[in-house]
Amino acid sequence: MAAIIEVDNLTKSYGGKRGIADVSFSVEEGEVFGFLGPNGAGKTTTIRLLMALLHADSGSAHIAGRDCWKDSQEIKRLTGYMPGEPALDPNLTGGQILEYFAHLRGGVDHAYLQQLIQRFDLDTSRKFRQYSTGNKRKVVLIQAFMHRPRLLILDEPTSGLDPLNQQEFDHMVKEASDEGRTVFLSSHVLSEVEKTCTRVGIIRDGSLVRIGDVAEVKAIKRYEITITFANPVPPETFKSLDGVIEVETLNHDHGVRLAMQGPADAVIKAASQYQVVSLTSYEPSLEDIFLRYYEADPAPAKEAQGVA
Amino acid sequence: MLRSIYLKTLRDYRVAILGWGIGMGLVVIAPMASVAALVTTPQAREQLVSLAASFAWNADPIHVDTIGGYATFKIGFFVFLIVIWPLLVGSRMLRGEEDRGSMDVLLSLPRPRLNVAIEKLAAMWTALFVMGVLIGLLAFAGGSKFGGDFGLGGGLLYGLNLALISAVFGSLALFISQFTQERGPAAGSAAGLLVFFIVLDMVHRVVPNTEWISRLSPIYYYNLSKPLIPSYGTNAAGMLFQLALAAILGGAAIWLFVRRDVGGTVPLPRWLRLPERQASRALPVGDWSLGSVYARSMGMIAMPTFWWTLGIAALAAFMVYAVQLLETKMSTLLSGSPAFSTLIKNVGGGDASVNAGFLSAMLFFLPLGLMAFAVTQVNGWSADEQDGRLELVLTTPQSRIAVMFGRFAALATATVVISVVTLLASAASAAAAGLKVDEGNLAAAILGMIPLGLLIAAFGYLASGWLRTAADTGLLSFVLAAWFFISFIGPELKLPDATLRLSAFYYYGTPLLHGLPVTSVVGVLVVAAVALGLGALRFANKDIGV
Repeated sequence: MAAIIEVDNLTKSYGGKRGIADVSFSVEEGEVFGFLGPNGAGKTTTIRLLMALLHADSGSAHIAGRDCWKDSQEIKRLTGYMPGEPALDPNLTGGQILEYFAHLRGGVDHAYLQQLIQRFDLDTSRKFRQYSTGNKRKVVLIQAFMHRPRLLILDEPTSGLDPLNQQEFDHMVKEASDEGRTVFLSSHVLSEVEKTCTRVGIIRDGSLVRIGDVAEVKAIKRYEITITFANPVPPETFKSLDGVIEVETLNHDHGVRLAMQGPADAVIKAASQYQVVSLTSYEPSLEDIFLRYYEADPAPAKEAQGVA
Repeated sequence: MLRSIYLKTLRDYRVAILGWGIGMGLVVIAPMASVAALVTTPQAREQLVSLAASFAWNADPIHVDTIGGYATFKIGFFVFLIVIWPLLVGSRMLRGEEDRGSMDVLLSLPRPRLNVAIEKLAAMWTALFVMGVLIGLLAFAGGSKFGGDFGLGGGLLYGLNLALISAVFGSLALFISQFTQERGPAAGSAAGLLVFFIVLDMVHRVVPNTEWISRLSPIYYYNLSKPLIPSYGTNAAGMLFQLALAAILGGAAIWLFVRRDVGGTVPLPRWLRLPERQASRALPVGDWSLGSVYARSMGMIAMPTFWWTLGIAALAAFMVYAVQLLETKMSTLLSGSPAFSTLIKNVGGGDASVNAGFLSAMLFFLPLGLMAFAVTQVNGWSADEQDGRLELVLTTPQSRIAVMFGRFAALATATVVISVVTLLASAASAAAAGLKVDEGNLAAAILGMIPLGLLIAAFGYLASGWLRTAADTGLLSFVLAAWFFISFIGPELKLPDATLRLSAFYYYGTPLLHGLPVTSVVGVLVVAAVALGLGALRFANKDIGV
């Protein structure tokens, strides 16, 4: 399948302050790609470069084979965009905003638009300034989807949505994916990426530190096994086994909690020499993986003011 | 400076205190410099006095042959310039913080809401007081330099009087902002009331036995004191009245603020409310104002255009009416006053008929008004970009240049509408008053404002490519004020022709007397087009929202 987004050594700084540096990745057509990173890592900068709101210092970004800056108008025809911090005319109602953007996009299927409004239960008669944060995000989410774009670029789309609407969003992403459309979403809520994305890129301090399938990223996981024994077992039994990183004793040597990486075969075989009462394995979420990337360098990222 | 809300707010005002204090101080000094040249002989002095009497409709001509008297008379024209800052600050003091959401954070501190509001109001008043002191000191320095007969006390009282009228309008804007959802309408309404009160104060100078009407205007009480004229002095009652009015308006605003919802408004009496529209969940498919960037921009600009049209057209109609009332008196003066003729030539131009000459001088204020309107709209464009409201529009398949031109085209349309309505109002007023003016030249004088409006707007769009909203608006306001002073006071100061040519008003000419200076107007339009083109080029290539 061809790549719909191709980013090559993309670099952007704000004066002397870091934005992103040499970011390269590609997103295949039809996939749901999660772009992960903490605040200030460079997610929004990357997205704004893709949407031609910023001009790159160096490197290139292409969408559907076209240069994001030079051919931005053509690219915007096939893109739906949701900004991280929606700012719209506070005096317009939700309905007026959607109608206005429908015109600017050259017209949309109103039946589909109505369907989206109903799915999110949005009251379109209220002015934008009167909306709660969640309802403001619903308006911009609907405007991103309403013209059935080939590519959706969504900056932290579920931030501020309640669980029911988050669920509705998940369904819409799945529907888009089923229809062969591409979704590129940024988030620092990793559980949602885990649910909705097929591939993930992790950005840190303006640089892409890892990219791969969700499953692949999870494969580098450090997981835990907790074993409870009928009788005390010396912790040294497990310390030198393959895959064991750390051993913690529990209940006066009646149990162990093992930090693991890699296969658990040796641990299972060693445990089977004793009377096992229970064995539980805890699979880490992406949050845990994510935190691991940052625990090595707890210093906060140097962030350009006003941009993420 | 960050230890309290009062000090933090005062710190925020530090640039404005210096800028406005020194800037307005220089505005007061400027006319002082020209007095000596105007009273070289007893005849010239007498003519200056007669001349000033003819402009009594605008300001009291008291001892205008003295440094202090002439400065007081001249500044009578410009009180609206001095009041702009407090008016903007008052409207955003609480409402602006609520708009940004920062008021929520401020009110989450263990501090009564009343204290927060009082500290902010006190900071504005302190800033105005310091500005008044700066203006007073500069007025004293100017008086000392050019031979004024007032002392330091007179200068400081003059600054204090300005600070008081500023406090009145700042507090008025704060009061109005309790009833509006945004700061813009509060500032606009307060500005409208300012113009209304200035005109109300003028009434008793034009129409006999109407002083009681002018007493309804705070400007009347400001004009009661003329501390730069020692023999006239200060009217303590007038100053106390202003202080009381500022305190009442400020106090009422705070009283309302502590009782209403944060982010909400105080409901207006039923008779003042606009009829509520039935909210509909149906999409506004047929709404004309949502069809394009231009249409949307027209929708946004419609209401301000309405109010500015009302103000400018009413002012034009009033001036035409006032000229008719003063015609007889002017004819007498003109026959025996070369100085008056000179001023008419300087400002109004030429020596044609009395009506056209004097009206031409008075209509000088109309392009200034139209350009001020353009500056407010440039401010809106710049603020939309700064606040991120253009971001989503720019991610639709609209080119950046089309978005910018759509917005500019709406502004251009508004300037045409304002000018055409003003022309109709002036023509109707002239017909009603029986004033004879050349209709073609009247049309040229009023429609000739349009290129000036477009020019300042194009400069603003160009500058917004680099400057943030406050700096862009400040720069445009400065340019506008500089142009106005060059053209209005420059001839009196015998400024060289090269300097006079720096002002856009120079190219506006005197169309009421001599018709439209086509070459100059085309030149202005070409410069505006080049500025707009450069602005579009910059906008098409800049980072948005950085």
